[in-house]
Amino acid sequence: MSFDAAQLFAYTPMLILIGMGCLILLAETFAQGAARAGLAWLGIAGCAGALVAIVAGWAGAAEAQTHFQGMLVVDRMALFLDGAFVAAALLTLLFAPPYLRERGFEFGEFYAMVLFATAGMVMVVHATHLVSLLIGIETMSLAAYVLTGCWRRNLRSAEGAIKYFLMGAFATGFLVYGMALVYGTTGGELSYTGIASKVPQATKSPLFYMGEYFILVALAFKVAAVPFHMWAPDAYEGAPTPVTGFMAAGVKAAAFGAIVRLLGSAFASPLLVFDFTGWASVLAVLAALTMTLGNLAAIRQDNVKRLLAYSSISHAGYLLIGVVASGLGVASAKPAVLFYLVSYTFTTLGAFGVVAWIGNRADERLFVDDWAGLGTKRPAVALAMTIFLLSLGGVPPTGGFFGKFYLFRAAMESPQLYWLVVVGVLNSIVSIYYYLRIVVAMYFRESSRALAPTDGTSMRLGLLLTAIAVVLLGVFPGTLVEWAGSLALK
Amino acid sequence: MPTTYYIVLSFVLFLIGTAGVLVRRNALIALMGIELQLNGGNLAMLAFSRELGDLKGHVFAFFIIALAAAEAAVGLAILVALFRGRQTVNLDEATLLKR
Repeated sequence: MSFDAAQLFAYTPMLILIGMGCLILLAETFAQGAARAGLAWLGIAGCAGALVAIVAGWAGAAEAQTHFQGMLVVDRMALFLDGAFVAAALLTLLFAPPYLRERGFEFGEFYAMVLFATAGMVMVVHATHLVSLLIGIETMSLAAYVLTGCWRRNLRSAEGAIKYFLMGAFATGFLVYGMALVYGTTGGELSYTGIASKVPQATKSPLFYMGEYFILVALAFKVAAVPFHMWAPDAYEGAPTPVTGFMAAGVKAAAFGAIVRLLGSAFASPLLVFDFTGWASVLAVLAALTMTLGNLAAIRQDNVKRLLAYSSISHAGYLLIGVVASGLGVASAKPAVLFYLVSYTFTTLGAFGVVAWIGNRADERLFVDDWAGLGTKRPAVALAMTIFLLSLGGVPPTGGFFGKFYLFRAAMESPQLYWLVVVGVLNSIVSIYYYLRIVVAMYFRESSRALAPTDGTSMRLGLLLTAIAVVLLGVFPGTLVEWAGSLALK
Repeated sequence: MPTTYYIVLSFVLFLIGTAGVLVRRNALIALMGIELQLNGGNLAMLAFSRELGDLKGHVFAFFIIALAAAEAAVGLAILVALFRGRQTVNLDEATLLKR
């Protein structure tokens, strides 16, 4: 047992994010007045540096390499998702500064917390050991609780934060207790490979199943799958809008990364996947419930932010279909999940970016009626929002369409999942109804109310980047899917 | 004493904590419930670790203790922000965010 510092170099992206977060905290104390605007750019520079480090590490990660006695692994799936998280953080740092300045709470800590949360997400998808998984999830979640509540003078922000915190910490309780049970019943194994090797003996004890499901419940809380979703609409509505986008995209994607890795290695044994009590059938039911209830609740919403919150719940359901298909042995399911996560990340960030753009301190303009006439007043923003909504609904030519297409095609390879695909397709058709409501309001209704958006150069840049990314994913999906396919087959 | 006793006790602790979060409407009590849940996990981890003669569980318990402290710090900060705004920590009165 030795600690080899050279191994740290494999985790340069994480180190850059943490280092830059600390630097922002230090710089915050000295930055006065206009210099504060520079703090966000420090964060953006950190994200750019991390992206460079990810690209630089790509070639060396063709073969999975484990480090620190099997605690962490560097492989292409992890680096692929790292790229998505860092891109999400970068876009959040573009959307946030004008939003925060307009509402009078631009603190350097905000940017530092975004970077720390991203570092946690990176750790979550690199984790191959229960300890590193727990630390990653908590680093990510604790920063996300703070971000949700950081608009201290706003009661909704504090209320969203307390609900998010209590439910998140509650889930952590399940996670910890589940880990303890798995540890005990596998004879002292904490690494994923160790657990997988002890599954045949461990399944003799019902406590092992209990531990497994406690861990899954905790992760289902993090991705906001029904029936563990009750915190999500409140937390998403209460949080400052750029944070909502960051949570809905990044935190959810990281939790899915953890689920894919955990179920793909530690709990991949056929003893645990199949039968009536296997996680494949349990998660299939959860997927159907999550899609359906998320969509049904979204239909009734007039508040755009809350509508998008429920829509993000239903998207967790679609993703769960891919997880189940992957567990049933469909090789193309994992790349489909990865592609979906990337397209969903950009789409969600963009959609919440527009929600952050449209309001101002006095008037948040969160209701569908408030969006009337946007198409004539600000055609570019309305077009961007239309692209995001079509992508969320799965209409071509957007990334969301191919995300759903690959996901459903993968699920079709397993006859047990036909019913789930039918439920999924029906749900996406229903979802188009409420997405189009916003589009109709923007283009086909007029409003005499003056528009005073938050706006800002960095916000426009962020919207432009996300819109381009969503369209590119819809026009050239093959490149990314092949990429994702080559790395997930390992 | 057999390990089973400790596991049963840890599960009872966990259940009391779970019930505390779900039933009590005072956010402070809910926070205490979460601490109980984590300590239930801790106790189970330590009992297993001792029975198996394996130190990893002990080390894990340290991580959980640190994590519980970090969580309490963030949770209490959010609670203070909530209390400043509305002079109560009763969760039933936190109803701004509803359909």
